[in-house]
Amino acid sequence: MKLAVVGKGGVGKTTMAAVLARTLARDGATVVALDCDTNPNLGISLGIGDTETERLIGLRQSLDDGDQEHAPSWESLVDVFGSDAPDGVRLAVVSAIEKPEPGCPCCGLSPEQLLRTVAFDEQTVIADFEAGTGTLTRLAEGAVDVVVLVVVPTAKSVEVARRAAELVAEKRLGRLVVLANQVRDDADRELVTTAFPDVDVVCVPHDERIAEADRYGLAPLDLAPDADGVRAIAALAGTLTAPA
Amino acid sequence: MRVAFVGKGGAGKSAIAGVVARLLARRGEDVLAVDSDPLPGLSVSLGLGVVEAVIPAAAVEEKAEGEPGPRFRLRRGLTASGALDRYALPAPDGVRFLQFGKTRASGVPLMRSQWAFRQILDGLPPEHPTVIGDLPGGTRQPFFGWAGYADTVVVVVPPTSAGILSARRLAKLASTEDATAAPSRIVAVASQVRDGSDLERVRQRTGLDVVGSVPWDGHVLAAEREGRSVLDVALESPAVAALVALTDRLAAHRPTAALAHRQGGAS
Repeated sequence: MKLAVVGKGGVGKTTMAAVLARTLARDGATVVALDCDTNPNLGISLGIGDTETERLIGLRQSLDDGDQEHAPSWESLVDVFGSDAPDGVRLAVVSAIEKPEPGCPCCGLSPEQLLRTVAFDEQTVIADFEAGTGTLTRLAEGAVDVVVLVVVPTAKSVEVARRAAELVAEKRLGRLVVLANQVRDDADRELVTTAFPDVDVVCVPHDERIAEADRYGLAPLDLAPDADGVRAIAALAGTLTAPA
Repeated sequence: MRVAFVGKGGAGKSAIAGVVARLLARRGEDVLAVDSDPLPGLSVSLGLGVVEAVIPAAAVEEKAEGEPGPRFRLRRGLTASGALDRYALPAPDGVRFLQFGKTRASGVPLMRSQWAFRQILDGLPPEHPTVIGDLPGGTRQPFFGWAGYADTVVVVVPPTSAGILSARRLAKLASTEDATAAPSRIVAVASQVRDGSDLERVRQRTGLDVVGSVPWDGHVLAAEREGRSVLDVALESPAVAALVALTDRLAAHRPTAALAHRQGGAS
């Protein structure tokens, strides 16, 4: 199963992707978490720390400087540019580089192409994408099974998500799940649900402890496993693996 | 003064840029606010709501085969200032607002509009108008020279690990990119600051000169929820007070003022 996590910048895509990835792994899936963002921070929310996250980014960037050998295959891409995260999740940074070599398995494909091209077999793939709707314009039908659209209850975020949802439907990109993050009250909930009347909206209540995890570079699952927000995302994980 | 705001998504770039633009205009400056993000942002924070305006493709023409220069330039007879008169929209407090357009689900490619946007900014006379720019979140766009107009790049930094690491990456990019296009100054503004330790962490871990600190403020959240400017929702809020101070600080540092001072001192 392949999931893409998309949304406006700062809505919590990376935080959600990390909790989802680790929860699915705890439930027994073999999870590969792909950081597809050119500003990659997924490692922090998975719980591998700032230093290891920066090391992975450095590796990816040294491809451009010619200081890093290219990976000869998809499997080795996850080896070379990846790191083991808690709960058995394998993280790999696959974001676009400045000077890709055409045809190279490790940099010649965009993350969107990679998702469509590579056979992931029984693995569960969670792709954390760059902010905005560009990713959805580049994804092809069949590249992913589920699009998790993260939205916060602000006018701008809802507007971006509306455009994103149109793209998902128009391009038949798979099942759409709207994750309303940082929901503080009924007005917040209503702002999101009225914008998406025909879509499953999963609400993640605002939680100071998730904000705190982001502050200190920790995984929400480690800092606040029992936070309402974390539980809501974990419950979502269960429904994603069940047939739609 | 030409300032570009950059930073991680959700750092508060648009909200800050929109208020700074309007505060400068209230002081009598001719302010152009520009948004190079294909997603809705700055227009909402200026108080204009979501704006669908697009710079028309016909604003540019393709250069002839073999002709030097960029692929597209403003069409014959259209100057950068003339294009502003045509395509910039009036925003509150007399600010003028320019965007190349917003991504639509099945919209036309915006390439020519993007070229027009870049050509207008590149063609403006050196000092006039004041430009306040809002860039997309993340680290990708500054690569492509989108902040070429800026004499000052302001990195907006929320006190989170991801926000701080993003700021460090951006500062590195801004200083190592094309040296001729490099901004003269890279500074930081801490956003969503809850206490002194937040501010100190931003200061220490970015290593940047922090020229402003905007407190976490429920008024900003309320404005964002409604899609309005915090200036129109809560003029007396702590966040607006901090943005007034930031505007003072940015205005005091303008290179032209520094230059005039130097020239004055030499005579």
